[in-house]
Amino acid sequence: MEKIFYPEVGETLWREKLPCGLEVQVLPRPGFTKKLCYFVTDYGAIHREFTMDGVSYNAPAGVAHYLEHKLFDMPGRDITGEFAALGAIPNAFTSYDMTAYYFSCTENFTQNLRLLLEFVTTPYFTPESVAKEQGIIDQEIGMNEDNPDNRLFELLVQTMYREHPIRTPILGTRQSIAQITPEVLSACHRAFYRPENMILCVVGDVEPEEVAAIAQQMLSDAPHPEVTYLRSWQEPVQTEQKLVSERMEVSMPMFQLAFKSEPVGRGEDAVRRELVADLAAEALFGESSQLYLQMYDDGLIDASFGGGFETIEGMAMLIASGDSRRPEAVRDAVLREAARIAEEGIEESDFLRMKRSALGRRIRGLDSFESTCFRICAYYFAKYDYFRLPALYRQIGREDIRQFLQQTVTQDSLCLAVIYPNEEETI
Amino acid sequence: MIQTISILPGVTLRCFRDDRFKQNSLSLQFVRPMQKDEVAMNALLPAVLLRGCQSAPDLRAITLRLDDLYGGAVGAQVRRVGDYQTTGLSCSFMKDQFALSEDQIFAPMLAFLQELMFHPLLVDGAFSKEYVESEKRNLISAIAAQRNDKRAYAGAQMIRRMCKNDSFGIPRLGEIEDVEAITAEGLYAHYQKVLRESPVHIFYVGQRQPEEIAQLLKPAFASLDRNPILLPEQTGYHISDPSDEEEVMDVAQGKLSMGLYTPITLRDAAFVPMQIFNTLFGGGMTCKLFMTIREQMSLCYDISSSYHGSKGIVTVAAGIDHDKAALVRQEIIRQLQACQQGDFTEEELRSAKEALLSQLRSTHDSPGAIEGYYATAALSGLPLSPEDYMERVEKTTAQQVADAAKTLQLHTVYFVRGEG
Repeated sequence: MEKIFYPEVGETLWREKLPCGLEVQVLPRPGFTKKLCYFVTDYGAIHREFTMDGVSYNAPAGVAHYLEHKLFDMPGRDITGEFAALGAIPNAFTSYDMTAYYFSCTENFTQNLRLLLEFVTTPYFTPESVAKEQGIIDQEIGMNEDNPDNRLFELLVQTMYREHPIRTPILGTRQSIAQITPEVLSACHRAFYRPENMILCVVGDVEPEEVAAIAQQMLSDAPHPEVTYLRSWQEPVQTEQKLVSERMEVSMPMFQLAFKSEPVGRGEDAVRRELVADLAAEALFGESSQLYLQMYDDGLIDASFGGGFETIEGMAMLIASGDSRRPEAVRDAVLREAARIAEEGIEESDFLRMKRSALGRRIRGLDSFESTCFRICAYYFAKYDYFRLPALYRQIGREDIRQFLQQTVTQDSLCLAVIYPNEEETI
Repeated sequence: MIQTISILPGVTLRCFRDDRFKQNSLSLQFVRPMQKDEVAMNALLPAVLLRGCQSAPDLRAITLRLDDLYGGAVGAQVRRVGDYQTTGLSCSFMKDQFALSEDQIFAPMLAFLQELMFHPLLVDGAFSKEYVESEKRNLISAIAAQRNDKRAYAGAQMIRRMCKNDSFGIPRLGEIEDVEAITAEGLYAHYQKVLRESPVHIFYVGQRQPEEIAQLLKPAFASLDRNPILLPEQTGYHISDPSDEEEVMDVAQGKLSMGLYTPITLRDAAFVPMQIFNTLFGGGMTCKLFMTIREQMSLCYDISSSYHGSKGIVTVAAGIDHDKAALVRQEIIRQLQACQQGDFTEEELRSAKEALLSQLRSTHDSPGAIEGYYATAALSGLPLSPEDYMERVEKTTAQQVADAAKTLQLHTVYFVRGEG
């Protein structure tokens, strides 16, 4: 295994690309009892169109999430129970562009690791169990429908995007999940759960070589199908409809204000653009910005306000959200302030302070097993090494921030989504 | 592992020395009795302190100071611990060793925390009216927003009814009308009272020496005119009349909340069996409620139970179809009775124990978990270190778990039903 030391963050990472194609990365944490292990595929809710060995597929919305639920099934076995008996807590999540299976444990690490690798690579779908899952996912969809933050985001992206599959919820819809069959699940599993499409990452006091050896032993070297999948969409940066709203049972109007941006892609330039965008968001409406204080003092926003740069494969946006009685005034204030910064730029001392702060928060974040493990995987798929971020910060100048705001925060690319309280509702 | 230093009478510093983390964490808590007439003020106080101090008089000045300290974070910390409420500030910040050149973070950060805590911005001898009014609006919005999360809302409505005669029934942030009644002068007078009479609990996680921290903090407390009170002892659940209610709301999914009580609190020997019962019943991924009501019967998406050990209350929460409430309630009770009769397998018991043990073993793996465990244990009266706790878990028998379950009585049910 290759062993890399990063002095700026005080971390040592072990990595290896196994013969079967799987990437293995281990971050040893001597002195800690907890071990966290992620097994992740570069596949999420938006990856529905693909070709496998020359055959084209167009999978129903929600299949990645459905598959995540069903992979926990094994013939005659209770996987969650087996983890529990080994003292581990297994879980999984599906996002727009990745699916992750993970466990944390303090003991029996290698047994838990074997179990994780086994169940994720063993598809087992029966018509009965696939049909039964529909009831459970229907309930999950119902729960999401009652969640105003969730509903607000759906409203926003459905209004902003024409082609990108972010228009459809990760869970799919009641209609789309009804079309999911064992055959669909098997095809998606074969296409996207190939070792070369995945990463195994462990954070904790473990033996890196042993992790790689177990993975090599458990995963098949057999040839895998040829797969290509649709990962970019023709999407104008301009938005057509600038405002959308709905009513729900909430106590106060909630808004999300977003500005459409070009997708960042992968590699160092992409990650650099992300960091620039994060700093730009901070300069524009972060807690240290003039605008934040002004809006807070004017009662336009409250402590619920926040925002940043969101990137999902094939799309990116600068987004701010919160509760406000006057969401349109927030939108106007953000536009005005972006225009001012684009005109005047930011002070060098302010810029250095922002970078120092961002770097400090990243370094503190390394104390969290969860966020570190997640970031190692996400940055691997983005084709960049997470622990090299401090060097990337040094390359960024304040002019980058000004340019980004000038290009992104405009009337052309914006959309404001609001959920107002039901009319009879009073506080 | 914990070193305790009494800085002054009524000011206790607890330190967990550890060099594995990249950051330092420190919390400064003033302990109050949980009382209806001051709960909202205690919730509001740290939010107002975080609006401005004499050396950093507004939000932006505060954030700029924190940005200079490499993005150090300061937050309001308001907690319910049994019959007590704590109010104060907490901070976490990067270790000096990762700073560029010779920048210092530790000492300036502790100094800044004390400026925020002890030297607030004053206008005409009280807090700034503007800040108080603006934070009142925030707090009122936060209280009102609790309605947005229907699961939490159903749980809060249930507890409010079940605990009419108990401090547990006082909402953690107070009532909207209590917040509305607060004035800048009233809050400032309360703040002075808090500084004068409240026991102070300070908790530190990091590599510095306890003496060094004591020395940095002592002058501020020594300069206060302190007369610390003795807090009343923690008590168990105080019963009131049971209730069973339904509320109709515009929701896609019904939210069921049930409350049960037991004389067993975390101060009792049977606490550990009770905790194991809860994990087996509704606390873990393989618990009875989840495995039967969700996995086997597909009656809900989520279902879980929690044991509030400082009071001896067990709550059950479930998201269900509107017409399934009676069925789900019946099944929850059936699963409880199974536990009471010892009708669970050796494997179920083992899984529950393992889940608890795993959680306890990793207590020392994050600064937040360390602070959460020890600071809460000290206030709630939990007499066990994580190590003692684990030993008790290992030794607990199936009979002890069933016996603990037998002490539970169903008290109150609240159901939020959709219109459809």
